[in-house]
Amino acid sequence: MDYQKLFESDISNKVVKEWRTQGKKALGVMCCHVPEEIFYAADVLPIRMRGTNCVDSSEAETWMSSFSCSFARSILQYWLDGTYDLDGFVASDGCLMASRIYDNGVYINEREKKGQFIRQIGAPRKYTPRTISFYKEELQDLIADLEKFTGNEITDKKLREAIAKHNEMRTLIKELYGLRKEKDPVISGTDTLKVTLASTNMPVDEYIELLKALLNDAKNRTPITDTRATIMLIGSALDNPEYIKVIEDKGGLVIMDALCFGSRGLNEPLVVDDNDVLGSIASYYLSRLVCPRMMDKHVELHDFIIKSVREYNADGVIYERMQNCECWGGENVLLEKRLKDEGIPLLTLEREEQMANVGQLAVRAEAFVEMIEKEG
Amino acid sequence: MAQVKDLEELVLNGDMSITEFACAKIDGSIESMREKHPELLWTMGTQKFVWDNCRDAQKNGQKLLFFGGSVPVDLFPVFDCFGFYLDTIPFRLSTNPNLTSKYIDEAEKFVGASMCGLDKTELGGWLCDAYGVKPDLFVYNSVPCDSSRTVYPAMEKIMKVPTFSFDTPFRRDDRGIDYLAGQIEDFISFMEEQTGKKLDWEKLKIYMQNSNRNFELQKKCADLRKHKPCPLPGRLLVLNGSTNALSSYPAVGDLFESELEVGQMMIDLGMGACPDEKYRIAILQNMIWGHARIMDWMEREYNAVAVMDAFGFQGDVMYEHLDDRKDCLRVMAMRMQNNPMIHGASGPSEHHLKLVDEIFQNYDPNVSMFFGHVGCKHTWASAKIITDMIQEKYGMPTLFIDLDCIDGRYKSGEEIQVQISEYFETVVMR
Repeated sequence: MDYQKLFESDISNKVVKEWRTQGKKALGVMCCHVPEEIFYAADVLPIRMRGTNCVDSSEAETWMSSFSCSFARSILQYWLDGTYDLDGFVASDGCLMASRIYDNGVYINEREKKGQFIRQIGAPRKYTPRTISFYKEELQDLIADLEKFTGNEITDKKLREAIAKHNEMRTLIKELYGLRKEKDPVISGTDTLKVTLASTNMPVDEYIELLKALLNDAKNRTPITDTRATIMLIGSALDNPEYIKVIEDKGGLVIMDALCFGSRGLNEPLVVDDNDVLGSIASYYLSRLVCPRMMDKHVELHDFIIKSVREYNADGVIYERMQNCECWGGENVLLEKRLKDEGIPLLTLEREEQMANVGQLAVRAEAFVEMIEKEG
Repeated sequence: MAQVKDLEELVLNGDMSITEFACAKIDGSIESMREKHPELLWTMGTQKFVWDNCRDAQKNGQKLLFFGGSVPVDLFPVFDCFGFYLDTIPFRLSTNPNLTSKYIDEAEKFVGASMCGLDKTELGGWLCDAYGVKPDLFVYNSVPCDSSRTVYPAMEKIMKVPTFSFDTPFRRDDRGIDYLAGQIEDFISFMEEQTGKKLDWEKLKIYMQNSNRNFELQKKCADLRKHKPCPLPGRLLVLNGSTNALSSYPAVGDLFESELEVGQMMIDLGMGACPDEKYRIAILQNMIWGHARIMDWMEREYNAVAVMDAFGFQGDVMYEHLDDRKDCLRVMAMRMQNNPMIHGASGPSEHHLKLVDEIFQNYDPNVSMFFGHVGCKHTWASAKIITDMIQEKYGMPTLFIDLDCIDGRYKSGEEIQVQISEYFETVVMR
C-alpha cells in the first residue's frame, strides 16, 4: 500500500470535500482539549486546525493584532480566507489565543450570517476530581450540540468504539516513535512530524491503514547514518516540518519531542472505565501532558522530558517557543536548572509561525550540534 | 527624606528591599503632600496601608499571604492573614523604570520577552531576592492571562510555601459560579489547615459587610463621574483599579468616602476635574500606571477627562444573605469573575463588549481610547470587536496606542503624549 500521503503536510480541502459529498459534516478542532473521539462517534470528520505554510496572516492580524501568537493568527487567517472550508469549528480555551480565535470566529459568523457551527468548551487548568467533573459537563454539552447538529445520537457504545479506534492509532504512533530509538533510525524528525500532521487532515480509519503500511515497510527504509547529535525537541505548537529540517540539515537528528502535534497529542492510550466512558475521556484529556497550560503539571512535564531524553538517548534538548505563546514562554524558570542538574544541554530558540530567519536558526542549530556531538 | 533616586540606587545595589523602598517612597510622598497639598493626603491612605502591612504583618502576629489574580480576598483577614496582591509591586515600581527594568531583565533570562511586564517584574523581583519579605502562604488563580498562569505556578515552586490555586472558567453562568464556589470551599479547608483556625462565620460577616460598604461607595464614586462636567480626575481611575484587592478593609471605604466627598463638593461648586470640560474619554483597556500624569496633562492641555475605564469599572455584586454560606460563596465567586482586568480581559469578548457598551451608555464619552498594554495580547485580540461596536453604535473612532504599562523602555511618556496630541488635533478637534 502506498503510504506517501502520510508525508503531505500541506493543508488541503480535498479530504473534506470528499467527506462532505457523503452528506456528512466536517468540523475544525482548535487545540488539544477537544476530544476527537466525540466527533468520530457523531460521524463528523474532525480537522485539527493549524497554520502550516501560512505566509501572510494580515487579514487575521486586523482582528487579533500583531501582538498575538502567529500560530493562532495563521489559523484565523486560514479560516477567513477559506483555506479551511468547514461546517464550523470547536475550540477549547486551551490558551487565550485559542479563545480569541473562537471569539472572532463567532463575531464574524454572526455578522456575516454564515450559520456555522462554532462552539467553545471550557478545559480546566488543573487536574482534580472537581475539574474533571466540570470538564465532563462541558463535554456533555458538546455532545448534545453535536447530536442536534448532525442528527446522530452519540452513545457510550459509539464512544467506546471511537476510543478503541483512536487507541489503535496511538499504539501505531508509539510504534513509529519506537523506531526512532534505534541507533540509525529509519525515519527522521522531519518526516515524523509530517506523519503526525497528516493525522489532522484525514479520517482516522484511513490514517491507521496508512500508518500500518508505513510500519510494515520500515525495514525497507534507508537508515539515517550521518547523524552528528540526537535531539529532543520541545516547545510551542510546531506544525511546519521545514523547521525541523533546518536543524536536521545541520546534523541534529530530532528523535523525540514534546510537541502537541507530535508525541504529546498522540502517544498515550486512553484507558476506559466502562461505567463512566465520558468521565474517562475527560480524565484522559485533562491529564495528558500535552502543553504547559495545566498549572499543576509543570513538574510532571519536566519529568517526562528528562525521562524521554534518557529513553531515546538524546544528546540535547532544543526548546522552541513561539513569540507571544505564553503557555510555553515560561518553562525555563524551572526546566533550565533541572536539565542542567541532569547534565542535559539545552538550546532555547524564539520563533514565529512563518519561517523567518532560517539562516539564523541554521547557525544556532549547527553551533548547538557542534557543542553536543560526541567524539567518534 | 532621601531622594527617590538615592533610594532607587540602594534597591539596585541590593541594599534596600522593594518593600522598604515602597514604604519609604510612600512616606516621602505623604510628607511632601502634607506640606504642599494637605487636601490630597487621603489619596495615599490605601497605599500606605498595603505596604506597611506587607512589611509588618508577620511582626504583628499575622500570616503574610501573597496572592495573584482574582481570589476571595474577604476570607484572608478572617484567618488573621494579610493578603498582599502581587501586582501591587509592578504598579508601585512602574514610575521607577530603572527598577522595573532590572527585574524584567532578570525574568527574561528565563521567560519570553513577550510576556506581561507585571508578571516579569514580580518574577524577576523574587529571583533577585528583592522583596524583603517572604510569605507564609501563596494563593493564585488561572486568570487573568496566559502570562500569569505561567509565572505563578513557577513562583509557587520557587517560593516553596503552602499554595492554593483556583481554576476560573470562562463561563459566567450558574455552572461557572458553582464551580468556583466549590473551589472556595476547598480553599477554606486549605486555610483552616494552614492557619490552624476554623472559619469564624461571624468574623467573616464583618468583612463581608466592609466589602459591601466599599463596593457601594465605589459605585457611588463611579456614578459621580456621569455628571457633566466630570467632578473627579482621570488619575483616580488609576487608583480605583487596584482597590478591589483590599475590598474587605475599612481603609478602602475611607478612600472612597473622601473621594465621594470631594466629588460631591465639586458638583456643588459647579466645577469639573478640568476647568472647561470639552472631552469625555472612555478608556477601553489597561491603565497607564507608569505615566498616570498623562491623565492630568490631558485635562490641562485638551480639557479632556477620562470619565471611565473598562479596567476598573464593574458591576456591583453584593452579599445579600450573610447567614447563607452557599449564597455568600457564590457572591465571592461572582466577584472573582468581576474584578478589574478579569471581567474584560480573561473571559469571552462578549463580556468586555457589554462592559464597554455600558460605559458608553452611562458616561456619555465623546472620545474613545485603547491604551493597549503589549502584555495583554488577549485584549488586543478582541480590540477590533470592541472598537467596531463603538464605531457602529456610537459613531466614534478609537485611538489605539500600544504601550507597556510597566516597562518604561517600551515607549516613553513623551511618545505617548505625542500620539495623543496628534489624535486630538487631527481627529477629535477637527
